[in-house]
Amino acid sequence: MLYFTLAAKAYSRNLQYRGAHMVHNLASAMFGFIYASIWIGLGRDNPLGAYGTHGMISYICFTQSLLWITSFISNGLGIPQAVRTGQISLDLMRPIHLFSHMAAREWGQIAYQLVYKSIPIYILYLIIFPLQFPKSGSVIALVAISVVGAAYISICMNYLIGITALWTTESSWFYWANHALVNLLAGFFIPLEWLPSWLSQLAWYSPYPYLLYVPTRIYLGYEHGSHIWGTLLWCAFLTLICLLATRVLRHKVEVQGG
Amino acid sequence: MIEANNLYKVFKTPVVREGRFSGLRTLFAREYTRKEAVRGISFQIEQGEFVGYIGPNGAGKSTTIKMLTGILHPTTGEVVVGGYNPHQERRKAVRNLGVVFGQRSQLWWDLPVKDSYDILAKMYNVQESDKRRRIDQLAELLDLYEFWTTPVRKLSLGQRMRADLAAALLHDPDVLFLDEPTIGLDVNAKRNIRRFLKQLNEDFGKTILLTTHDMDDIEQLCNRVMVINHGELTFDGTARSLRETIGLPTEIRVTFRGPFQLPDTLDPAIRVTNREDEIVTIEANRQERSTVDILRELGTWGEIDDFEMKEPDFEEIIHKVY
Amino acid sequence: MKDNLKLSSKLKSWLELYNLLIKTSVRSRMQYRFNFLLGSVLAALIQISEFLMVAIVLYKFGAIQGWSMYEMGYLFSVMTLSKTLYRTFADEVHHLEKYLVEGDLDQILTRPVPVLLAIMPRNFRIMLGEVLQGGFILGWSLHGLWRSGQIDWMSIAFTLFIIVTGAVILFSIGLATATIGFWTTRIGELQTFTEDAARTAGQYPLTLYPKWMSSMLLIVIPVGFVNYVPALYIIRGELGVWVLAAVAVVAMICLGASLRFWRFGITKYQSTGS
Repeated sequence: MLYFTLAAKAYSRNLQYRGAHMVHNLASAMFGFIYASIWIGLGRDNPLGAYGTHGMISYICFTQSLLWITSFISNGLGIPQAVRTGQISLDLMRPIHLFSHMAAREWGQIAYQLVYKSIPIYILYLIIFPLQFPKSGSVIALVAISVVGAAYISICMNYLIGITALWTTESSWFYWANHALVNLLAGFFIPLEWLPSWLSQLAWYSPYPYLLYVPTRIYLGYEHGSHIWGTLLWCAFLTLICLLATRVLRHKVEVQGG
Repeated sequence: MIEANNLYKVFKTPVVREGRFSGLRTLFAREYTRKEAVRGISFQIEQGEFVGYIGPNGAGKSTTIKMLTGILHPTTGEVVVGGYNPHQERRKAVRNLGVVFGQRSQLWWDLPVKDSYDILAKMYNVQESDKRRRIDQLAELLDLYEFWTTPVRKLSLGQRMRADLAAALLHDPDVLFLDEPTIGLDVNAKRNIRRFLKQLNEDFGKTILLTTHDMDDIEQLCNRVMVINHGELTFDGTARSLRETIGLPTEIRVTFRGPFQLPDTLDPAIRVTNREDEIVTIEANRQERSTVDILRELGTWGEIDDFEMKEPDFEEIIHKVY
Repeated sequence: MKDNLKLSSKLKSWLELYNLLIKTSVRSRMQYRFNFLLGSVLAALIQISEFLMVAIVLYKFGAIQGWSMYEMGYLFSVMTLSKTLYRTFADEVHHLEKYLVEGDLDQILTRPVPVLLAIMPRNFRIMLGEVLQGGFILGWSLHGLWRSGQIDWMSIAFTLFIIVTGAVILFSIGLATATIGFWTTRIGELQTFTEDAARTAGQYPLTLYPKWMSSMLLIVIPVGFVNYVPALYIIRGELGVWVLAAVAVVAMICLGASLRFWRFGITKYQSTGS
């Protein structure tokens, strides 16, 4: 199975660096610790809505771990790099669709990040903080669906960011802009219902809440499955956009003569 | 001018662990692999000498140069260059040094050649009038104006080396360290660089230490040669005594038309290494006999149909020296 | 007397050189003007989204541990501006790894100028995004604090002063971290810790954190002295004016210690092997 091979290769390529990644995990966990401390501080004077201090700590720890599989994935799926080296025209010549090729590779990357980043970081939090867990198997199944959907949405978004590299050399800035929007609109630090209403409305028109906020809410039991439909809808819609974008891209590369 | 006393340099690199959490464990590891790059080297170089410093790759050449120029600190031992210890008074010591690394340019990559000289003049506190006079002089000797306003990244290798040499000389240093200045250059460019270096040494009295892999650099330029191998000096003497030590044998393979006869008393400069029916292979020391003389001698053995000459290989020479 | 004269002429020539190197760096950079503009605009957006995260919390809860919105804005913007000042003039300190990996320090070490002086201006740029964001938020905070009668003209002068001392402290932390690279070569992960994480933590009042962590942020990685400690006096009137002197002393100690460490580290430079 070709797609599985692509993913497996991407996964194993990372294995050689896992030691350095573990050090990085400590630094990443530090950020979650800072955010959790802020909420603990706030919780001393404020009730913190439906969550309470305990709930907010659980919220932060889960989003901070989830980040590495649904938000901070490879910059533009590595396409900007391929454009710089000219590899992209080779990739376009292969008898496999560029989007599914890149996506398969990224799934391998995400699987690696899950095993060597998200899970270790979450375990670290588990040692430091008392955390809330889902109560039933069906919740876990829903979380799994929403996380896989979120990862797929993120793959699509990064694909779109990546192919802008054909038009501008500055596509890394779009990656950073995406980062900034994740910070703000995905519920990275603040649950969306606490945003000013105009901003949270704006957020719900975007796919960002489905990356972190929705899976976390389901995990913590504040939400039932209805949001899964939103996740699936965005998956379908973004797939369509990615396929269309690939056609435009092909046209562009053909015009340029490869 | 340059003095090295019992220089010793050990590189310690952490042992990279294998397996789980290897990176983490490497980071906290207390285990090192020790590599003795230079093991107790001493020498003195007087003003006006032109010294070739040769040795196979990984023998410790660059490490020595980097210690002499203050880049690396020796594990033990001491360096004095132009009266200063570059490890204690780096800035004073390097003021009087010019350094060229053949593999890496010291010029500003994105800028026109001339801009680099402005910056360097500022770094070495060269007065405007001195700077202009010296640049004019160097430009004439090295033909710099040909690419004066070209960005450095667009220079050819030969042009870049000329520009780099000028950069190393702008502050009129007494001592020059040249690390493979002719590497990768074509024959013509090599000849120009050599002519210039010779001039620097003979006319301007610069003390020069040169590393190279090119035997011709040594032959044509250096009046003293030091050979390093496995971190130790294995030879230090005049270029002439180096030749005597190793004899610089040239291999000549001669095919005669028909049978040939060896003379009863063989010329002492010629050594027969192999003979077949119509072919003979000899080794001759060209320091003692010119090629023409050797061929004339061979002509008396029989009628020469064809011959091939093989110059001695650099690595082989080094091998012979130690 | 004569030594003084010599020293001052030396300093003058170093300043001239630094100036020239900055000009050179700007000139190389200007080949990519559009990138500069786009980069600045997006950097400002990112910066603002970062502050919005804090601002929204304040908007929702009013204050964090008794620190008002304006006071929080003050902490945040002083940190941003100090970092900006440090990164404007000494960005390459943050990127020393590149020099260590590629052996680029060789050439610089053969120059008769201090290594830092030669490195620092190499990547000089005006970080427009950060300056605008930091400046705007600081202006807004000071305005609010002024109206509530918490500050006067002197406080504004003090603020400028602590931005500079803060930059010195952040520079020292950056330099000390970079110096560790002389032993480990790779420093990226460590920088995430000592520079990024510590600075993020320092954007909030240190009382938020557990004791061990706030002590660490004051003693081990002293980002607390960039904004939090001086802010206690400048905007909240706690402690006393001696705090500013203490901050200056801390900054000088950090600088001195990190420079010494750096000088020691350089003697361990291994180039790229032999």
